[in-house]
Amino acid sequence: MNLIKRFFDAQRRHFTADGRLTRWYPFFESMETVFFAPARVTDQAPHPRDSLDVKRYMATVVFTLLPLLFFGMYNVGYQAYRAAGAVPGLVPVCWLGFKVVMPLVVISYVVGFAWEILFAAVRKHEISEGLFVTAMLFPLTLPPTIPWWQAALGISFGVVIGKELFGGTGRNFLNPALTGRAFLFFAYPVQMSGDAVWRASVTSGGAAVDAVTAATPLVVAAGAAGSGGVTESLTQAGYGAQTLFFGLYPASIGASSTFLCLLAGLLLITVGVVSYRIVLGNIVGVLVMGLALNLLAGENSAPYLSLNPCYHLLMGGAAFGMVFMCTDPVTAPDLHLSRWIYGFLIGMLTVLIRVFNPAFMEGIMLAILFMNVFAPLIDFLVLRSRLKKRIPNV
Amino acid sequence: MAHLNIRRGLHLGLGAAPGLEIIDLPVPATLGVLPERVPFMKPRLLAARGDAVRVGTPLVADKRNPDVLLASPAGGRIAAIELGPRRVIREIVIERDAAEEFVEYRRLAADQLAALDSRQLAQRLMAAGLWPLMRQLPFRDYARPADQPRNIIVALDSKEPYQPQPGIYLRGREELFDYGLALLRCFGPQNLLVTLGAHQKLPAEQLNGRITHTIAGKYPAGEPGVTLYHTRQSARDNRAWYIHGQDLLLWAQFFQSGRYPTERVVAAGGNVTRGQRHYRTRLGVPLAHIMAQLEMPANQRCVAGGLFTGYQCLAGSHLGLLETSLILLDEGKREEFLALINPGLNKPTYSRLFASRLFPAGNVAVDCNKHGGDRACIACMHCADVCPVDILPQLVYKAILVEEVEEYLAHGLLDCAECGLCSYVCPSKIELTAILKAAKAAYYPDYNWNGNGEKG
Repeated sequence: MNLIKRFFDAQRRHFTADGRLTRWYPFFESMETVFFAPARVTDQAPHPRDSLDVKRYMATVVFTLLPLLFFGMYNVGYQAYRAAGAVPGLVPVCWLGFKVVMPLVVISYVVGFAWEILFAAVRKHEISEGLFVTAMLFPLTLPPTIPWWQAALGISFGVVIGKELFGGTGRNFLNPALTGRAFLFFAYPVQMSGDAVWRASVTSGGAAVDAVTAATPLVVAAGAAGSGGVTESLTQAGYGAQTLFFGLYPASIGASSTFLCLLAGLLLITVGVVSYRIVLGNIVGVLVMGLALNLLAGENSAPYLSLNPCYHLLMGGAAFGMVFMCTDPVTAPDLHLSRWIYGFLIGMLTVLIRVFNPAFMEGIMLAILFMNVFAPLIDFLVLRSRLKKRIPNV
Repeated sequence: MAHLNIRRGLHLGLGAAPGLEIIDLPVPATLGVLPERVPFMKPRLLAARGDAVRVGTPLVADKRNPDVLLASPAGGRIAAIELGPRRVIREIVIERDAAEEFVEYRRLAADQLAALDSRQLAQRLMAAGLWPLMRQLPFRDYARPADQPRNIIVALDSKEPYQPQPGIYLRGREELFDYGLALLRCFGPQNLLVTLGAHQKLPAEQLNGRITHTIAGKYPAGEPGVTLYHTRQSARDNRAWYIHGQDLLLWAQFFQSGRYPTERVVAAGGNVTRGQRHYRTRLGVPLAHIMAQLEMPANQRCVAGGLFTGYQCLAGSHLGLLETSLILLDEGKREEFLALINPGLNKPTYSRLFASRLFPAGNVAVDCNKHGGDRACIACMHCADVCPVDILPQLVYKAILVEEVEEYLAHGLLDCAECGLCSYVCPSKIELTAILKAAKAAYYPDYNWNGNGEKG
């Protein structure tokens, strides 16, 4: 402790008053406060303050994302070796996954943090910890074969356009991680969608080039034909309910395991970081829309319409989006009732986009961004009815 | 007897329950008057340094209403008049004579009350320097003497930690309290609410039909603004008057004895006492006089009034007319190593991110550290979830910052109980209460007192 303290005390002079790095004080501050909570005291009532700060709030989310990251690494290695024919032991699998995933995470943090420092230095305020969540979420939503420069470009777009231009964490109206992903999705569809990108190659140490084709569950579901329906097509392609639940299939790096998302979601709801209203609303939305489509489905309609709605919760990034993406409190509406509605509509839209829009396989990304934009409107309407009930006092 | 249940609020979890013993303190050598601490008052000095004063001699008049006075709580000589920045009158210190003289007023027997009209009553209280004890919602200035209040709320206790308990200050003074209630009836309120925390176990002879509402809930349940919010029927109820139980006893004592009342029960608590003590002492007691009773570690902050609502004061100061509580808090000006991964067994929090929440009885260590840096609002909704009057502070403060007056009024800004909870829970460390309070005060001059409370 004393060693660390001495280190920071020694470096402080570069960042304060006459130091050469005065402009970059926010960087120093953010590093120091990771180790030492600042010695600031209140100067007015209420005299005590809650022990919770944004740093702990955001760090909790990052901690719960770590199991998904580790699973993602394993899965990337596992899928690569499986495509190559033989799966060796745990260590080489993890090592391959580590080699593929870790650079993306590092890129995401370094580039995202650089932008954040730049804006914080210009604005002369402290670095907000929202970035640490964004920079962790972003690589988990990417295919493992994404070129490094695209990852850097994506996180830049997400942080700068999705957040900083509007004033930084707390003032952005779009989820920055998803904004970055959506940008890549539309700008570089070849590297972001299709069958070829979801599996890294065994020989790839860095960015993979020769990926192995693997249709994702969403592609299989959309393309399903024949009497057996989607469930059978999925099972034939190797995507049984169990596989989908545990997430051991070619997918984006960390978003495939519904099981881990479920655990993380339960934890985050228990500690009150994630709004259970959004998550439950979302699940209900998916199920209601899925059932509605089941009812609509006729003899000749696409089999996707008749899919058991529970599969929508298992496939693709639905669970990941529900737990980590749409629950971002800043871009969600504020009021509790609005959050139910918001979650519900995201769930419905997710299913609609998946089933009726063959160009966009993964519905939840667009559904969340779409509802991000509508969040203030939901709040506005809910608030109006709430204030009507209030006895005026003016 | 009606029962109110206030759902929102905060239980800090300080552990130790307040004790019910009381310690009589010797009479201090100096006593003080703090005009600065009477909200909204614009004081004008009526006396000078060196003047001889009696108990009850007017020292200060309000420039806004020269009839409203503050009086000397001691007989003797004015030893000092301390001015702050911009010549604000901080403190008038009176050195007490051994034999104090009193200004004598006409006494008033209980059976004479009925014949009295409210104007005369108010005039006599103003002249005695006791009128500022009666406060008026929504701004919490002293009551407008010409108003006829629809509601008067007598709050016997508060859930704020370290406040004097009614079981102590009412003991043996039940008849005086009845007399006080009779006084209040002279103002002709439609509703006279006498509120008591549901957790209080007062002996039957103290209750005896005096209480109209028992109130359950966490802090700030029992605060008059919260009580009004949960009992009001229409906008016409918004301008209730309120007075604290102990202050009503002062009024009653003034009329019964014909002299300025001097006795005050003060609660002291905080890190030092682990729990709470009561002291029977004088109005305007020097803080050092109470602190001498406590073993004081270094680096303590001295807070007068309340943990969540009080103000910081210097140890050499005195207790104001409206304050009945002195709290010594660990200043907490130190860096905490790896606070981020500390499970927090004894850390106070509203969130569920610290292990202290596993022990509902609680025994948390409270200090004045902010526990974090300033950030933008992240819409965690903690402030809205604790607000006892259902304001959405995170939206109201944004409306205030962009000066959307109509909007923040519609949100119920004037219902704000100024309890401090929104600032307390905010993980971004935004001074929500201060911002809301300042906006209320700024709106005060524009408030339409002739309106019905529904339209501005």
